[in-house]
Amino acid sequence: MSAPFLWIVLPFIAGALILFLLSEKNSAYIGGAISIILALIALLIPIDTALLLGSVSIKISPAIQFFGRSFELSTADGPLLAVIYGLAALWFFGTEASSTAHRFVSLGLMIIALLTASIAVEPFLYAALILEMAAMLVVPLLIPLYQRPGRGVVRFIIYQTLAMPFILFSGWMLAGVEASPGDVSTIIQSGVMLSMGFAFLFAVFPLYNWIPQLMEETPPYATGFLLWALPTFTVIFALGFLDRYTWLRNTPQIADAILFSGVIMTATGGIFGALQRHLGRILGYAAIAEAGLLLLALGLRSFDLVNIVFLTLIPRGLELSVWALALSIIKRKAYPLKFSDVQGLARKYPVAVGALVIAHLSVAGFPLLAGFPSRLALWQELSVQSLAASFWVFLGLLGLLIAAVRTLAAFVMAGEDSKWEMNESWTQAAMLGVGVLGIFLLGIFPQVLQPFLSSLPALFEHLVQ
Amino acid sequence: MLILVTCLFLFITALALVILRVTQPDARYAWLVASGGAALAFVSVFIWLVQMPFQLTLPAWKPESLFSTPILFSADGISWAFAIGIAALTLSILLTAVTRPVFANSLSWAGILTLGGMGILAVTANNPLTLLLMWAFLDITELLSQLISVNGEKNSERAVISFATRMLGIGLLLWAYIESLANGSMVVFQSMPSDTGIFLVLAAGLRLGVLPLHLPYAADSSLRRGFGTALRLIGAVSSLSVLGHIQIASTGFTPILMILASVAAIYGGWMWLRAPDELNGRPYWMIGIAALAVLSALSGNPIAAAAWGCAIILVGGALFLSSIPDVRLSRALLVGSWSLSSLPFSLTGGAWAGNLSFTAVFALATQALMMAGFVRHALRTSGTESLEDQPSWAKAAYPAGILLLLVTQIILGFIGWDGARQTGNLILALLASVLTLGLVWGTRRFRIFNPVRAHWVTTTGAGVNSLYQWLWSLYRGLARLAQSITEALEGEGGIMWTLLFLILFISIIVQGIQ
Repeated sequence: MSAPFLWIVLPFIAGALILFLLSEKNSAYIGGAISIILALIALLIPIDTALLLGSVSIKISPAIQFFGRSFELSTADGPLLAVIYGLAALWFFGTEASSTAHRFVSLGLMIIALLTASIAVEPFLYAALILEMAAMLVVPLLIPLYQRPGRGVVRFIIYQTLAMPFILFSGWMLAGVEASPGDVSTIIQSGVMLSMGFAFLFAVFPLYNWIPQLMEETPPYATGFLLWALPTFTVIFALGFLDRYTWLRNTPQIADAILFSGVIMTATGGIFGALQRHLGRILGYAAIAEAGLLLLALGLRSFDLVNIVFLTLIPRGLELSVWALALSIIKRKAYPLKFSDVQGLARKYPVAVGALVIAHLSVAGFPLLAGFPSRLALWQELSVQSLAASFWVFLGLLGLLIAAVRTLAAFVMAGEDSKWEMNESWTQAAMLGVGVLGIFLLGIFPQVLQPFLSSLPALFEHLVQ
Repeated sequence: MLILVTCLFLFITALALVILRVTQPDARYAWLVASGGAALAFVSVFIWLVQMPFQLTLPAWKPESLFSTPILFSADGISWAFAIGIAALTLSILLTAVTRPVFANSLSWAGILTLGGMGILAVTANNPLTLLLMWAFLDITELLSQLISVNGEKNSERAVISFATRMLGIGLLLWAYIESLANGSMVVFQSMPSDTGIFLVLAAGLRLGVLPLHLPYAADSSLRRGFGTALRLIGAVSSLSVLGHIQIASTGFTPILMILASVAAIYGGWMWLRAPDELNGRPYWMIGIAALAVLSALSGNPIAAAAWGCAIILVGGALFLSSIPDVRLSRALLVGSWSLSSLPFSLTGGAWAGNLSFTAVFALATQALMMAGFVRHALRTSGTESLEDQPSWAKAAYPAGILLLLVTQIILGFIGWDGARQTGNLILALLASVLTLGLVWGTRRFRIFNPVRAHWVTTTGAGVNSLYQWLWSLYRGLARLAQSITEALEGEGGIMWTLLFLILFISIIVQGIQ
């Protein structure tokens, strides 16, 4: 069996089968179980290495050919696949609690399979096409059939589609740059093309206005999944670019531009987040600020860049899944999620509200929680490069903290006669409880990620030298 | 290692209480277990003296290249005094719990023991990272306790505001840490750049309601004696401990901070003197004494800051835990006024060693107000609880709990830490004592010194917080501006606006790069 078949074709087919064959309840468990199994295989069985089990020899071959293109997953990809499918399992199990299981699990599996293909495809520029396909598959996840899409959805697909030609053009030009490195005009042109492509993909300022709109228009759990999955794979795609092209890595202006974009995204995301009155929009701005942190990490001139990126990425999946799940539970009671709608709900939904606030504080970098160690690592590197940039990032995260406090205040302002009760189901409470425990665990003992972090830099060997 | 031993005594006892609660809800020896664990912890802190100074480093976060600062605890001539104060308070709360209506609430005792353990870890934290983690734990605990115990919109909102101000304190400590990281070295308090000291003072001041002056705690909170006292005092002392570890360098900003701290000190002292009872006055007690600690730190006297921190927990603890009208105990409580007097060999003996310059007058006045208020509250004869119906062991345990705190105050005047056996400035100490006597004499004769009614205290608190109404207006203005920008970007012409912003953005970046 080949690795691309196992981690791309198989989940894609499974997703399609779930869509047509399984009921809503079963799809969450089956989808989650498939993801868990794929994560465990990635973790335990090395790719392209023969394993002897008694008299049986097992070997997962690294590549397959498809329409003349190669899809390759090497041994170094193992921990990355384990992380991706492990976090995806978390999202799929959560669908049962959020009551969005059926289409979510099937489409989610297909999206993850396509995104994994974007890591594996060679020549790697084709990843832009696969990312676009994944983005298109997100649309039916966000809006029910026969429903007219809102403005946020339309803008999302427009911006993702605009990214593709820029990336493809830049790839064509980059080949020219490699052939004649002294040609400054080609370097500038390809740099601008690439920047524009990634600006659309990352939704940098001011291209991110579709995110809060989407959070307002669509189910929070599905949008949360989108906000986790696409930036995660875009970051890996961007790391691939930086790793392959020496001139991209070594041009300080490009690093500065990435850093500067990250700072602006984090600062504006945090500040705008602090000024919102809609819980969904706050989550949207928090996701923007966190994507800014990832961009910031990419712009660091440090050999620890890859470590910092993955230290931010892994807890991000947990935080967003807990936050989105809590929000989707609350939304059923308090549509459309404005502060005035959720006032006093802490006493009716204590677990969901507690989980939401903890996840929010974690994204804002509150000590003891999962987001804190990565922010600390980021500041350690950033403060040496620029204290001013550190200040703006600090300000952005402070904005998110203010948003968390306002959210909490709205939730707890219950009347005198309001009694404490628990309206979450046991499944919901258990899922949220496990998520919150995970957030605390990663915040107090970030070294539990070390087995992954120690192996992941091998994927981008030029960046860590 | 000894730090861990002390904390483990407290944590394991707390765990044992929880297990007992689940397995044997009616166990009659739960109190004995709780008190036994706390007593062992108290004794173990004295054993620190044999090995001091020593450190405890927890396994480092990984990858080590990203986390250069370990989680580090240190027992030294300052942190020991705080630690013994917290251990004494924890034991004292449990000993005096025999009179409380929640006597059978072993979960509350488990909470007190856990808070005690975390408090000791907080005061021994030797770098900003460790202190950030400890502060965060204490703040989350306090927030949860408040939210569970209060009722009504206003009280819930105040609990959140209180959490928010302490969170800002955490933010300032974090910023001081980031500035230190910019120097690229492993950070402990002693090696932090001198210009970051001011952020630490601001952080502690903000958490305690001193800089700028505000009321972080609701005076009418239902968390009163027992768990409430532990929460308030341990939280306060963990904030103040940072001031004992650093020598603040004077900057251009220092005089402004000293003026603000003086205002807070006078306000806290005046309100404490006029508070209707000690529990309603507790927020002012903390503001007044904390302001004195901040002034000491700003004047370059960290030992005095530590001494005031110890006074908050030991002197205040004894007073707040006294709930039974007993003439002999009330008189014994006056040991607290000795501890506050800054006379030679008292707990605050070194309080006047720094250069307080123009704020010395305010500090002196505050000290006198705090002492006079303390005497007034200590000598009150009202009280709702009684030992009459209690068994004989309970009759012995309660006064033992109060006396424990009083004896610890006296011991700290003589041994164990850098502020012991200080002769200080006798003239100023005597002046404070004379002023105190005058105020005590005056409170019985002049109406202005008479206690105010509880509702008046609350109204004044709201008045003080009116400063924040202005900030709220600013916030709403910004929100309207953000709304306008958002509507432009998300409206019909949003894509055009976005592209315009993008071009602007690119030109800014290009300029920045050039």
